[in-house]
Amino acid sequence: MFRLPRIGRRPVVDARGARRHTDQSHAIAARDVHFSWEGVPMHYIPGEPMATHIINVMHLVLPEGERAMSKALAEALPLITDERLREEVVGFIGQEATHASSHEGAREHLATLGLDVEPIARKMDWLVDRVLGEHGLTGRARHAWLCERLGLFAAMEHYTAVVGEWLLEAEHLERKGMHPTMLDLVRWHGAEEVEHRNVAFDAFLHVDGSYARRVRTSLVASFTLATLFLTTARYLYRTDPTPGARRWWVTELLSATRRGVIPKATIFLTEIPKYLRPSFHPSQLGPMDTALRYLARSPAVSTA
Amino acid sequence: MTTTRQPTTAMRIAAAAGGAYRGVFAESRLAPLLSRPQPVRRTGFDLDLSILDRREEAEDVVSLVLGDVDGRPLPSWVPGAHVDVFLPSGRQRQYSLCGDPADRRAYRVAVRRIPGGEGGSAEVHGLRVGDPVRVRGPRNAFSLVDAGSYLFVAGGIGITPILPMVRETERRGRPWRLVYRGRSRASMPFLRELAHYGPAAVDVRTDDVTGRPDLATILPLAEPGAAVYLCGPPALTDGAWRMLRDIDPAASLHTERFSPLPVVGGRPFRIRLARSGVTVDVAGEETALAAVRRALPGVAYSCRQGFCGTCKTRVLDGRVEHRDRTLTARERQDAMLLCVSRASGSLVLDL
Repeated sequence: MFRLPRIGRRPVVDARGARRHTDQSHAIAARDVHFSWEGVPMHYIPGEPMATHIINVMHLVLPEGERAMSKALAEALPLITDERLREEVVGFIGQEATHASSHEGAREHLATLGLDVEPIARKMDWLVDRVLGEHGLTGRARHAWLCERLGLFAAMEHYTAVVGEWLLEAEHLERKGMHPTMLDLVRWHGAEEVEHRNVAFDAFLHVDGSYARRVRTSLVASFTLATLFLTTARYLYRTDPTPGARRWWVTELLSATRRGVIPKATIFLTEIPKYLRPSFHPSQLGPMDTALRYLARSPAVSTA
Repeated sequence: MTTTRQPTTAMRIAAAAGGAYRGVFAESRLAPLLSRPQPVRRTGFDLDLSILDRREEAEDVVSLVLGDVDGRPLPSWVPGAHVDVFLPSGRQRQYSLCGDPADRRAYRVAVRRIPGGEGGSAEVHGLRVGDPVRVRGPRNAFSLVDAGSYLFVAGGIGITPILPMVRETERRGRPWRLVYRGRSRASMPFLRELAHYGPAAVDVRTDDVTGRPDLATILPLAEPGAAVYLCGPPALTDGAWRMLRDIDPAASLHTERFSPLPVVGGRPFRIRLARSGVTVDVAGEETALAAVRRALPGVAYSCRQGFCGTCKTRVLDGRVEHRDRTLTARERQDAMLLCVSRASGSLVLDL
C-alpha cells in the first residue's frame, strides 16, 4: 500500500519502526585485503576498452565519495541509539575505507601505465569537498544537511548493492579473460556492498527517515551517479593512450551493454520506483549467500 | 583544498547547484517543512533473559539454555550466530549458539572452563538455573551459506557453531562430512547428539589415538567446490587458507571472524589532546583508542586491528611505537593509528 508522507505534524516514531528486532544481526567488519597490481594491463578486460573504462570510473570516482560517506556516517554515530545499528555503522565505515584505499591502489597503477587519471581524481576531490562537505553549518541547518547527505548516501548505496550483485553473477567477465586481480577487486568490493547493503539505509531511517527526503535524494543521487559514470567513462575512453582506431563512445557503450559486459545504464531509472516503495528495505534485495561465499574464497581476503 | 588547475565551467555549475540545493533543503526557513522526519528506530538488541536449564556436557563443559522469563519469542538466527553474554562481574563474553534455530523460545550455549583463564569461563560455570543474564545479539559472523557440499572441521569447544550447521545441512539434504577433533572423547561435548549421523559422516579424531591435529589430512576430504567451515584452536586452523587454495581454489573457507585481540606487552603512557585540552592516561592493557574514547566518544574508528586506517590521527609531539599494518613510512612521521599503536613516553595528538 502506498502511504503518503505525513505533512505538517510533529516527528513520530511510526508503528512499523517501534518494533523490536526480530532477527539476527549480520556482523559487519572490514577485511584486511591485499592486491598486487604487478602485471595488470591497461585493458584488463581484453578487447573491451569501454567496459574497462566503466570499471575505471569506480577507481576514480568512488574513493572520494566513499570517504565523504564515511565522514557523514561517523558524524551520525552519536545520534544512533540502537546498539545494533551502531555496530553495523562502525563496521561499515571501515569497509568503505578499505574500498577507497584499494581502488586508489588500482588508480595509481593505471597512472603508471599512462592513463591520465589525475585530472579526474582532482576534480572529484574538489567537487566532493564543495558539495558534500560540512560547510561550517550549525544547529538545525547542520542537522538537516547531515540528514540530506545520509539520504543521498543511502540512495547511492542502493546502486552499489545492485551493481555488486551484478558483478558477482557476471560470468562474462571471466569468459572475457578479465585480469584475475582486477576481477577480485571489483567482486570483493561488490560482495561487501551486498553484505552491508542495509547499513546506510537503516542509518538514514534511524536519524531522519523523512519520505520526502528519500524521494528527493534518490532522484538527485540517481542523476548524479549516472552523470558521473557517463562523463568519466567518455573522458577515459577518449584519452586512452592505446593506439588504434576507435568507435564513437556511445556506440561502444551500447554494444558493451548489449553483450552484457557492463550493467545497463537504465538502472539509474528503473531502480528508483523500487527504492521508493514505502515498504522497501535493502534486505529484500535477495540472498546474501553468493556474496558471503565469494568473500570466503577471494584471494585478496587473508584469513586463517 | 588546493588545486593546481582552475575548475572547469561544468564543475563550477555543479558546485553552485550543490550550494543552492543545500541552501533550500538545509539552511532556508522552509527546510523543515520540506522534510518531515519520520524515524524508524528499533530496540531489542539487548535481551534480559534467565537460565532455564544447565547441563554437564563433557569434562569441564557445561551448556546453558537461556530464555525470556515471560516466554516471549527471541530474535531468529541462522547457524553460525553468537551472542554476547554480560556476566555479573561486568565481563562480556561471546558464545556461539548451539541449539536449534527453529526453537524461538530458547538459546543454548556451551562453555568450556579454561583453567588459569581470565575467569570468564569459570564465572559462566558458576551460573545456576533461574539466574538472570543479559544477552546482546544474536549476531552472525560465520553464516552458513548455500553450497553444493560441505566439510565441517571442529576442534574441541569449536563444535558449538558447527553443531546447528550439521543439523541444517542434513535437513536440506546436502552432502556433508564433519571432522571433530579433541584431546580425548571424554573432553568432547555433544558426541551423543552427533552419534546418530553415523561414523561415515562424523569422523571423530582424538589426540590420544591419532596424535596432534593435522589439517593436511583433513582438507583433502572436501568435495570439489565445497564450503569448508573451520572452527577450533590456532593449532588446528593455522595455514588453512593457503592449504585449501592449493587443493581446490573453487572451495570456500569459512572461519569465524574474531573481534580484536587483547593488548599484549603494553606499557601505560599518557596522551594530551591538543585541540580539546584534555589529558588521558592509557593503561597497559588498553588501547590508545579506548582511552581517547573516554574523553571523546565521537572519535572515528572501525577495524580496531590496525589496517582500515579510520582512526588515523595526526601526532604533534612524542615518539610513537607503530603497530599498524597500513601506514607508509612517510605517514608514520606525523600520524598514528589509535587502535593499535602506542608510545613509550607521552604523546600530543591533534584531537
